Amino acid sequence: MALAGSPKILSVDWDKPESWTLKTYGGKYPALEKALKMQPQAIVDEVVKANLRGRGGAGFPTGMKWNFVRKETSFPKYLVVNADEGEPGTFKDRAICERSPHMFVEGLIIGCFALDCHLTYIYCRGEFRDGAIKRVQEAIEEARAAGFVGKNILGSGFDLEMHVVAGAGAYICGEETALLESLEGRKGYPRLKPPFPANAGGGLFKQPTAVNNVETLANLPSIVMKGGDWFNSVGLVPKNGGTRLFAVSGHSRKTGVFEAPMGITFRALLDDYCGGMREGSTLKAIIPGGSSSAILTAAEADWASDFDTLKSKKTMAGSGGVVYLDQSVNMAHALANVMRFYAHESCGQCTPCREGTAWLSRLCDKIMQGRGEKTDVDNVHQIARQMEQKTICALADGAAMPAKSYIEKFRADFDALVRQ
Amino acid sequence: MIPLQTPGGPAPSPFSPEQQSRFDADFGRAVAKYAADHRRAALLPVLHLAQDLLGWLTEPAMAYVGFRLDIPKVRVREVASFYTMYRLKPVGRHAIGVCNSVSCWAMGSEQIIKRCEEKLGIRSGETTRDGQFSLEEVACLAACGYAPAVLVNNYRYVENVTPQSLDSLIEELRAKPGNSMAPAPEPKKLEINRGQGEAPRQTEPQTTGPSGATSVQTSGGK
Repeated sequence: MALAGSPKILSVDWDKPESWTLKTYGGKYPALEKALKMQPQAIVDEVVKANLRGRGGAGFPTGMKWNFVRKETSFPKYLVVNADEGEPGTFKDRAICERSPHMFVEGLIIGCFALDCHLTYIYCRGEFRDGAIKRVQEAIEEARAAGFVGKNILGSGFDLEMHVVAGAGAYICGEETALLESLEGRKGYPRLKPPFPANAGGGLFKQPTAVNNVETLANLPSIVMKGGDWFNSVGLVPKNGGTRLFAVSGHSRKTGVFEAPMGITFRALLDDYCGGMREGSTLKAIIPGGSSSAILTAAEADWASDFDTLKSKKTMAGSGGVVYLDQSVNMAHALANVMRFYAHESCGQCTPCREGTAWLSRLCDKIMQGRGEKTDVDNVHQIARQMEQKTICALADGAAMPAKSYIEKFRADFDALVRQ
Repeated sequence: MIPLQTPGGPAPSPFSPEQQSRFDADFGRAVAKYAADHRRAALLPVLHLAQDLLGWLTEPAMAYVGFRLDIPKVRVREVASFYTMYRLKPVGRHAIGVCNSVSCWAMGSEQIIKRCEEKLGIRSGETTRDGQFSLEEVACLAACGYAPAVLVNNYRYVENVTPQSLDSLIEELRAKPGNSMAPAPEPKKLEINRGQGEAPRQTEPQTTGPSGATSVQTSGGK
């Protein structure tokens, strides 16, 4: 049971048989046909009006990012797709690639046309080779055969070549500049900014580059067909247009990918889409947007899930990976698990992150194993504070946010494990 | 020790003639995705090709990839060692990876890891003596809604795993030949001189008798 009247934009075809084929998609790319007759700037203007926010995690306004790239005078320009989905709790880009790849490919072509880009790369996590990557590649081949990819697309004179490149297992390559490094054949060390990827000198092969998430681009066909104002009106809160694919996991009755309007509360998402908590479960905590986001208590389930509300509450909407946790979870144990992930995935370039994540992980393990003291809990909090805003990329902040919030909101779970 | 700059001279191919023709065809496709002056960018895809043929990235394979792309061998190794999907040591013909990130953990992944350890007689990070299985914990696979999740040989997703379905999976894999694995080099060749006054590192299994240890340490990657 979904919210009354809430439209489905991205998951509209998912329950149809062979939803990944061009035939099921309707056999045509009508939004592309329309877009190719528009001025590229007019497409970007619609995206600005739509208040489309980047769905990868940062929630940056897509139209603004595209205007940065359009202003650059250096050519070639690139659009690079971030399909390196790796944030714990997140699996919605995989769902798009597997179930509606044509919506994404059509959106990507429209984006490239809007940015005057003629060569695009889809950087997809390597483990997806036999699933999501295969589906996207098949979709591209179907699109090519239909004249949507290649030379002189639909007689418009616009040329576009697209390639899928597989990563090789590194969380950090989801960070856009690490992704560009990896796409250029190097290890995924994030780049010092500025120059930003959108600017000359900062993007792929030093050229102006827009890096966009799969879900972000999959919204383009609807924006072109129905207009930016319509898209904006679907969101429940200002400046957050459209719907969002929430990847729900944990102890809710139903888990999976659910499409709901931007700004839905976590309570409504749980009760109206996921059937509440599983049998015998009481909600204890919510990870609102991937494991890098600050945790919510059950009492905070009424918070809206959009980028701006959660930012004002000192957490983040992030990647849309929502994890509902029940009373069986000890939050000190959960934090030890999360910290082990960041210690493993820190690329090692910046000292506060390389040393800090490892230190946090060791201290959390010590606490979890019952060998900790009260000062260890305080130290975790303090180390986390000192890691914030001190590194090239946001991985350290992504480790610090859970560390601080788990302790601040669930201190009792920690205190019960340590010697006072 | 690896010299800091290996000249980009010819390196012999590590492939059989049949592997070579497959490599050459796929190499051409991988490089064609980039402009001629950016062909070195194809390093990750080309390493995948080499590993898919050999089971892991041997030193000669990395040297050969470097030769084909005109990249110094040390740069190839730097990249290969950064990414967890690349194996710098042989693993089992069936490499089982159990996701232990937060959603899978909340749904019981640690029980799944324990069950694997019991069934296979090895710890996480090890390979069975017969080379049939290796076991490791892996980071989030983007399968959180279908937790716990297991990844077989880097690409095959097995989801909603229970102890019972895990048992059947292991029996299924036991009956299959699995990935072929290029032989490991003589251990001495890989030994690194750690200077004087330091105890030599244990590189061999501690006991080798038939009733002794059942495993060797083979954790690859990072």
